[in-house]
Amino acid sequence: MEVSVIGNPQTRLCRAELAYRELGFRFGSVVISGESRNKVTFLSQSSNFKDLSIRCSSRSVKCEAVVSDGVPFLKSTPNSRWLASVKLFVGLPLDTVSDCNNVNHLKAITAGLKALKLLGVEGIELPIFWGVVEKEASGKYDWSGYLAVAEIVKKVGLKLHASLSFHGSKNPGIGLPDWVEKIGEAEPGVYFTDRYGQQYKECLSFAVDDVPVLDGKTPMEVCRGFCESFKSVFSDYMGNTITGITLGLGPDGELRYPSHQHDVKRSGAGEFQCYDKHMLSALKGYAESTGNPLWGLGGPHDAPAYDQQPHSSSFFSDGGSWESQYGDFFLSWYSSLLTSHADRVLSVASSAFSGIGVPLCGKLPLLHQWNKLRSQPSELTAGFYSPNGQDRYEAIVEIFAKNSCRMIIPGMDLSDEHQSPESLSSPESLLAHLKTSCKKQRVVVSGQNSSAPVPGAFERIVENLKDENAGIDLFTYQRMGALFFSPEHFHAFTVFVRNLRQFELTSDDQAAEVETKTVNIGSGSGAPSLQTA
Amino acid sequence: MSTVPIEFLLHHSHLRHNSRSYRGTRSFLPCSLNLRSRFTSSNKLLVLNSSIGSATSALGLRSSKYVAIRASSSDTAVVETSQSESDDVIFKENFPVQRIEKAEGKIYVRLKQVKENDWELSVGCSIPGKWILHWGVSYVGDTGSEWDQPPEDMRPPGSFAIKDYAIETPLEKLSEGDFEVTIKLNLESSVAALNFVLKDEETGAWYQHKGRDFKVPLVDDVPDNGNLIGAKKGFGAIGQLSNIPLKQEKSGVEVEKESKSSSDSTIERKGLQEFYEEMPISKRVADDNSVSVTARKCPETSNNIVSVETDLPGDVTVHWGVCKNGSKRWEIPSEPYPEETSLFKNKALRTRLQRKDDGTGSFGLFSLDGKLEGLCFVLKLNENTWLNYRGEDFYVPFLTSSSSPVETEAAQVSEHTPKTDKEVSASGFTDEIITEIRNLAIDISHHKNQKTNVKEVQENILQEIEKLAAEAYSIFRSTTPTFTEESILESEAEKPEIKISSGTGSGFEILCQGFNWESHKSGRWYLELQEKASELASLGFTVLWLPPPTESVSPEGYMPKDLYNLNSRYGTIDELKDTVRKFHKVGIKVLGDAVLNHRCAHFKNQNGVWNLFGGRLNWDDRAVVADDPHFQGRGNKSSGDNFHAAPNIDHSQDFVRKDIKEWLCWMREEVGYDGWRLDFVRGFWGGYVKDYMDASKPYFAVGEYWDSLSYTYGEMDYNQDAHRQRIVDWINATSGAAGAFDVTTKGILHAALQKCEYWRLSDPKGKPPGVVGWWPSRAVTFIENHDTGSTQGHWRFPEGKEMQGYAYILTHPGTPAVFFDHIFSDYHSEIASLLSLRNRQKLHCRSEVNIDKSERDVYAAIIDDKVAMKIGPGHYEPPNGSKNWSVAVEGRDYKVWESS
Repeated sequence: MEVSVIGNPQTRLCRAELAYRELGFRFGSVVISGESRNKVTFLSQSSNFKDLSIRCSSRSVKCEAVVSDGVPFLKSTPNSRWLASVKLFVGLPLDTVSDCNNVNHLKAITAGLKALKLLGVEGIELPIFWGVVEKEASGKYDWSGYLAVAEIVKKVGLKLHASLSFHGSKNPGIGLPDWVEKIGEAEPGVYFTDRYGQQYKECLSFAVDDVPVLDGKTPMEVCRGFCESFKSVFSDYMGNTITGITLGLGPDGELRYPSHQHDVKRSGAGEFQCYDKHMLSALKGYAESTGNPLWGLGGPHDAPAYDQQPHSSSFFSDGGSWESQYGDFFLSWYSSLLTSHADRVLSVASSAFSGIGVPLCGKLPLLHQWNKLRSQPSELTAGFYSPNGQDRYEAIVEIFAKNSCRMIIPGMDLSDEHQSPESLSSPESLLAHLKTSCKKQRVVVSGQNSSAPVPGAFERIVENLKDENAGIDLFTYQRMGALFFSPEHFHAFTVFVRNLRQFELTSDDQAAEVETKTVNIGSGSGAPSLQTA
Repeated sequence: MSTVPIEFLLHHSHLRHNSRSYRGTRSFLPCSLNLRSRFTSSNKLLVLNSSIGSATSALGLRSSKYVAIRASSSDTAVVETSQSESDDVIFKENFPVQRIEKAEGKIYVRLKQVKENDWELSVGCSIPGKWILHWGVSYVGDTGSEWDQPPEDMRPPGSFAIKDYAIETPLEKLSEGDFEVTIKLNLESSVAALNFVLKDEETGAWYQHKGRDFKVPLVDDVPDNGNLIGAKKGFGAIGQLSNIPLKQEKSGVEVEKESKSSSDSTIERKGLQEFYEEMPISKRVADDNSVSVTARKCPETSNNIVSVETDLPGDVTVHWGVCKNGSKRWEIPSEPYPEETSLFKNKALRTRLQRKDDGTGSFGLFSLDGKLEGLCFVLKLNENTWLNYRGEDFYVPFLTSSSSPVETEAAQVSEHTPKTDKEVSASGFTDEIITEIRNLAIDISHHKNQKTNVKEVQENILQEIEKLAAEAYSIFRSTTPTFTEESILESEAEKPEIKISSGTGSGFEILCQGFNWESHKSGRWYLELQEKASELASLGFTVLWLPPPTESVSPEGYMPKDLYNLNSRYGTIDELKDTVRKFHKVGIKVLGDAVLNHRCAHFKNQNGVWNLFGGRLNWDDRAVVADDPHFQGRGNKSSGDNFHAAPNIDHSQDFVRKDIKEWLCWMREEVGYDGWRLDFVRGFWGGYVKDYMDASKPYFAVGEYWDSLSYTYGEMDYNQDAHRQRIVDWINATSGAAGAFDVTTKGILHAALQKCEYWRLSDPKGKPPGVVGWWPSRAVTFIENHDTGSTQGHWRFPEGKEMQGYAYILTHPGTPAVFFDHIFSDYHSEIASLLSLRNRQKLHCRSEVNIDKSERDVYAAIIDDKVAMKIGPGHYEPPNGSKNWSVAVEGRDYKVWESS
């Protein structure tokens, strides 16, 4: 814990007793940084302050400080202090840069960024699409549109979080690069495919990661080239403007199989996407190597269809195939591809970006639908599985930890009470589970909301961020656009930011008197905490 | 780090100019010190003088590299890169800094009796400056804080009048160095008190007394608001002289002399006593200095040599650290350190700069490891004075890579100058506010008296945020042509019970526009209209729209001048009130026509431009938007389009909005208006309208958002979504607190009827193509008004086809408005039948419309399953199903059925 006091000429040291010290100082700002949790530093130009030392007896460290609460921006409540340190980012529209490298709604974005800056937002998340930058030919990068955006962000004085997206997006109509799509037409096996032969053309199959399908290069090599080009083109921004890089790990940037190929059929738990040529041959090889060649002929035959209830057929039901030996065989294989894909992308990225001092991130999905079923089928079709009911996320989190990668978890705005009871869904418990898994392996978690507006979102987000235990120090709000700036929503957002920042207009009576509060620093157990007495 | 920000005052004045509510109440609010412009030219030279030269040679630099570089006088932070020596200079920058010096002194006020009824009041100040006494008087019987101009004989020579309520008199320099002005008081006049504030023209600062005007009472019963001077009861209380942006000084008041006045003055003045009071003041003077920093790479040691030079007087200590690993955290470099360096709390190093031999400043050299990324520092002048650069630490980057050495940070800094380009200066403004918040946060903790400022600044910021967000919103909206269809918006409103809201009234309203372009001519329109009250009620109208009631430069009322003067060409205020009463009696609500976009001025400014207002709302040019060059407004940019014939009001100003809200509430109460028809709402942001509606709580409100439909080669486009989107956006900006005239529907009816293109009346989704198809409850449908028709005829409805228009709007959802001229015409009985049908069948603004036919020559629809209608020459019969349709109204090319 680090407490620094800004600009106070009147600091005086009053009383020094065994374990009590009375300090007259004001909290101009309180910075609690995660790295240095046990350091107390006072900075002041006051000369008599030089003599200050805080003695900590192991039994009780108590430091009483008189805080004149004249500072309007901070209130000394334990929660708000953590909250105030959460960095808030806002995502730019997905179509910020059009697929011909123009910056869309430039004026709106500029005005919007200024508004956000004034509001106290820390930075901006910019989705950067592979299909825009490397549109025409392999290795031919055009960053101009994104550079222009970065420059605006820099001028406005915001931070930038770049999301390198190796997927396409139906909504603004940005696909994979043209040359990749052409390859995909000739060689359909590069895309995820379901058992009906339908292809998911917004993302390459995990099975081709190391297969030289892209003009003699593997997707991972292409990915490395992309990262390196990004690093060199944006080198001037690294570390100062760009303070984070997110690697797209799959469909919509999330680490998962596109188990719901099309968003419309959300009613079911999704289907397994293991029917492309490369997947099938991998499955076949795996089956043969484990001595069950017959299991390698295809995916589970008794899995429900997209629009069927998960428990309507035998695969996901209690005691169903998923719990059988076959189920374990298939699901282990299916999920291992996901895990190794994450590992490949993150290692490529962490070596490409090594030494620039910008943290890397990857995003997980929040597969909360049907998670009250024992099989948790949404997780299974998306590729999260672990035998014998162990933590399904452990392997993934391990990969993140290994690559010192931060984890972005969306859906921080979702609350159980607003889920329809039929979906048997509990976003809150899944989120809590994920946070715990990350904490165990010291993976830092960043938050995001789900992109669709939900009731009670802001309250829920604040609740989630308040949780000092989870240590979420960065939250990205998705996403800027017409709805975001609509009067109702923007007002709510402003209130939300102020709740985070405690940026409140002081009421008159607060302004009139200088309140005295006592702040205890430290506690008997030695665990650092700050609380108001 | 603890630093005293050096630009706080500047930020302050900048903002306050926009924000200070300058109300009509003639009492002066404090203004902050208005120091010279931010980037005062720095003539400082980037010179490495010889003493530095020798020092650096010792550190291994080739002396041939020193070239004195002269930065020409420029308004920006100068970044000079001279080709001849740039090979090892990696950073060069001249930072302008401002040092605030404080001069302390006193203001004194002396009241002296010369003869019986001749008294003299002297106001003086001991600090040099261009002092102006800004003063006025209160007369016996005045209430409130307003000032009046003093009688002529009281004005000292050299005074000049400010508008009609104040006098400015410069203070003259006395031989002993003080500045003073003396006002002769003639107590035979009925002056009750003298009010003043002191202004320093040099800085633009206003000095007040305890946050209010100084007030010297000359009679006994002047109400004491805590700002009296010399009054007996005030003696104990008079304490501090506040000039808000200044640091508060602890002070007491000395009453030096006090003597009984002669007893033979008038009774009220019995208590008048001579007095002398002093109040300490301090004034801040900014000195411009500069800090030049040059960093160069020493080729032999591969160290970076940074030279810091400044013309700041006195001892200057550099408080510094170095940066590693891309962060701007301060870290302590390894030794050796320059001379006179000490370690400060393991956090920073302190190095005292060496005085230059010629006494013009100090300099210092820092030799740092070439691998470091940069040097951060702030300057310390004395224990309490720290200088940083625009709220940030000074930062000298050393780029380790050989590419583009003088770029990045230096370039970034220079970009911050306000004159480079607009984009950047705007972001500079952002930074400024941010810095200000920070500075205030620091400052406020010392000076609680400044809290008002913080609040104000915060409000300002919030406003700025709102404005930017609104801008972003409107652009995003227009580039994202999606609109959540009515079904969602209306679903909650579909409930059967009647809910009154200002956007819809009861939902069953039918409007009558109660005037035309000629109505003012008789001079007794209100009286003429009164006579028609019962007839209009029996026709089935529920709301009447009256013409604009205020004094106006044009007789029709749309060029308002004094908003509180409700005597117009339509009649007097009493006739108006009487008319409203009469209509209320017959159950008709009355709308006032509120012209909020623009207002005609009473006075010219010094350039002869009409932009100063009089009357009860005596706004000045800050109430006028800044982007209409004709009116030289000093407000903000307009939040909408400009109406070019009169000064457009700047609704972003707090005081304007407050006054308008007051005015609307006053009209509601005084006249009895139930709601508003809002003129030319394209001129300002709909969010402000929401604000006004929230404040005045109208029963019904409708805005005129009239812009052009889209045409291609003279032919109207089929798809008018962009047009209706703009109107819907406006309604949305008001949060639905007001409806809007459905100009889209009128336009499409024009094309459909005129050219027999009835297919236009269904949009691609089979809904009405106007606003009424998207947001029926907020659409006020009409076919003609005083502008489009009447004797102006700017956009007249196809002649002879008006009844088709009425057959459409009076059967369809939305709130229909019928034009006065049409009611009292040959169409009278047909309109009456349609009105009675609408009321009989309880059609309302959210009725459901099913378009049955939209072909070349006929359009037909069924509304709420109980009314069927067709317009156009083509044939249509409602479907024979379970319903039994009977013809209700029939006329030329239209037919309406109702089910029985």
